[in-house]
Amino acid sequence: MLRVESINVYYGAIHALMDVSLEVGQGEIVSIIGSNGAGKSTLLRTLSGLKRARTGSIQFMDQDISETQACDIVSMGIVQSPEGRRIFTNMSVSENLQLGAYIRRDAGVGKDMEEVMQRFPRLKERIKQNAGTLSGGEQQMLAIGRALMCRPKLLLLDEPSLGLAPNLVTEIFKIILDINAEGVTVLVVEQNANRALDIAHRAYVLETGRIVLSDTGKALLTNPKVKEAYLGG
Amino acid sequence: MNWGVRAVSIVAAVGFCFLIQTVSLGFGADIQRLIALAGLYVTLAVSLNLINGITGQFSIGHAAFYMIGAYTTGYLSIQFLKNSGMPGPVWLLLMMLAGAIMASLAGLVVGLPSLRLKGDYLAIVTLGFGEIVRIIVVNSPFDVSFFGVFKFFTFPNLGGAYALDKIPAIRELWLIWLLAVVCIAVCRNLLKTAHGLAFLSVREDEVASLAMGVNVTRIKVTAFMIGSAFAGAAGALLAHYETSILPSTFAMDVSFIILTMVVLGGTGSITGSALAAITLFALPEVLRRNKEPVTGGTFLAIVIGVIAAVVLIRWFQNEYHGSKNKKTAGYFASVAASAIVAFGLTFALNAIPALHDKAFEGSKLRMVIFAGSLIIVMLIRPEGVFAHHEFSWTWLKKVLRIKPKSEALAT
Ligand SMILES: Nc1ncnc2c1ncn2[C@@H]1O[C@H](COP(=O)(O)OP(=O)(O)OP(=O)(O)O)[C@@H](O)[C@H]1O
Ligand SMILES: [Mg+2]
Repeated sequence: MLRVESINVYYGAIHALMDVSLEVGQGEIVSIIGSNGAGKSTLLRTLSGLKRARTGSIQFMDQDISETQACDIVSMGIVQSPEGRRIFTNMSVSENLQLGAYIRRDAGVGKDMEEVMQRFPRLKERIKQNAGTLSGGEQQMLAIGRALMCRPKLLLLDEPSLGLAPNLVTEIFKIILDINAEGVTVLVVEQNANRALDIAHRAYVLETGRIVLSDTGKALLTNPKVKEAYLGG
Repeated sequence: MNWGVRAVSIVAAVGFCFLIQTVSLGFGADIQRLIALAGLYVTLAVSLNLINGITGQFSIGHAAFYMIGAYTTGYLSIQFLKNSGMPGPVWLLLMMLAGAIMASLAGLVVGLPSLRLKGDYLAIVTLGFGEIVRIIVVNSPFDVSFFGVFKFFTFPNLGGAYALDKIPAIRELWLIWLLAVVCIAVCRNLLKTAHGLAFLSVREDEVASLAMGVNVTRIKVTAFMIGSAFAGAAGALLAHYETSILPSTFAMDVSFIILTMVVLGGTGSITGSALAAITLFALPEVLRRNKEPVTGGTFLAIVIGVIAAVVLIRWFQNEYHGSKNKKTAGYFASVAASAIVAFGLTFALNAIPALHDKAFEGSKLRMVIFAGSLIIVMLIRPEGVFAHHEFSWTWLKKVLRIKPKSEALAT
């Protein structure tokens, strides 16, 4: 579904991604783990067209999207829930969800809104509330719900568990599994390596801009190198 | 919205414009002119609000678009109106269109840097653009050439630093106010469409908007083009109302006054911009027409009264923890008490000869009023008088504590 071939991404002189290649198959959950500054967010930004790769190619459903504009990439079905949630804090929960469906002109928006509410009952109770007044966990649910409103084929999640209490982290990862079970392919970037590897079909380890390991999620969970560096020994 | 409501709104809007026209006929030419200018300022403030308040692109060169509209159409009318044989109002409509097109092309040019620049940097570009337009006019006529070697064409004479005068007079008050109403309607309806949310989302968070598939580039450029088109049309109306226009009519301070109107009204609020435009335009005019100069004592008393009111209101806002109703009562009490103190002080202070003899002309206090009202609003309500609220009938009912019928029945 998605094939990234040796992309190089720079911020001025900083070489943030070096020859990164990866693949995501239809229906998979793929995790990318790595420590702070490894380049995880940069990778997702590049996939969404918010940042350009200097060299290399990105193929989505057999089309080259490395030069495609961000808004067109969303229309093709790649939707990102960005790092730090970035919900529209001065808008209501329902307006946030409506913006998620911005590119859609079909009649199913109302029905999808209902579905998102069913998935996240807490959002339903706060539908008219200003999104900025939601708790961190509720904001994360809104961010995911907003991305789902686009009807993504490939959902990119940047650190969905950031700053959440353990029980909420469990809830969020369960939701990711549910979404995937309904047919959405998921690429998730995480610092919480344990959980991310646990739900992933396959996973990559990113270290200072390079992919250093890739395997199935289960295999990486027991890999001694990963255990030492990311799972606390 | 159903078509019935729409038709009623349109009829009401046109009726409102003719009402203004009819009422103003009862006044002298000077008052009519003020009513005209007030309408133009409403258009300017509401159109800047689209760029600045709603889309969040900090533009402080709005007078430039106003100027482009005025000069383009003034020049065209001087050249062509006589031979065209068209009736005045039709020609004026045509000129509004011409002014709008020219200004929105300029808006496109200024909108493009806004794709790369943010906040202060964009503000500097728009400020610079305003000055460039003014300086081009001041220096006209001039030859456009390649280092003096290759002459392309001569930029027409727009009066230079003096006035572009003898513009044919076409004074249609109803058209001026119709433009204001149309401008308000366009902005309001824009916000109601799916694209409307996108304009607001660009102001809120560009990256998140991009991630949702919003074409941020197009939204920004659209905001600039629509906003400046209205300013250009307003310029056309001004040129034909005044019949003589000067570069200084469109100097930087005009841009700042329009910006002040938007900020005071509440950035993003169309209602706020429109009402602030009328208020801020009318206040100095009232002072100017009051021939009696303001004495130093009175001035000082007012300043002390305002400071007292601000301090008291801020105390009620931050230190007082009563119920909402008690707080509101506190605000009113603060204003009333300060007003009484100021009134008393007027007599006391004017008894001092040094203060009594120093007098200010009302017209000189214009800038003091703008600066003062900005400071006051920033201190007690930084989000602007209307914040991001809009006038609507349900809102009015809520303020007046009348429950909508359905709710009243439910409870
Ligand atoms: N806008 C930017 N300008 C310059 N350098 C940047 C910019 N954004 C990121 N970088 C650099 O690129 C590198 C990768 O950053 P990135 O945000 O992708 O890391 P990350 O893996 O997402 O980290 P974290 O887990 O902390 O979110 C870092 O060294 C960072 O300093
Ligand atoms: Mg990151």
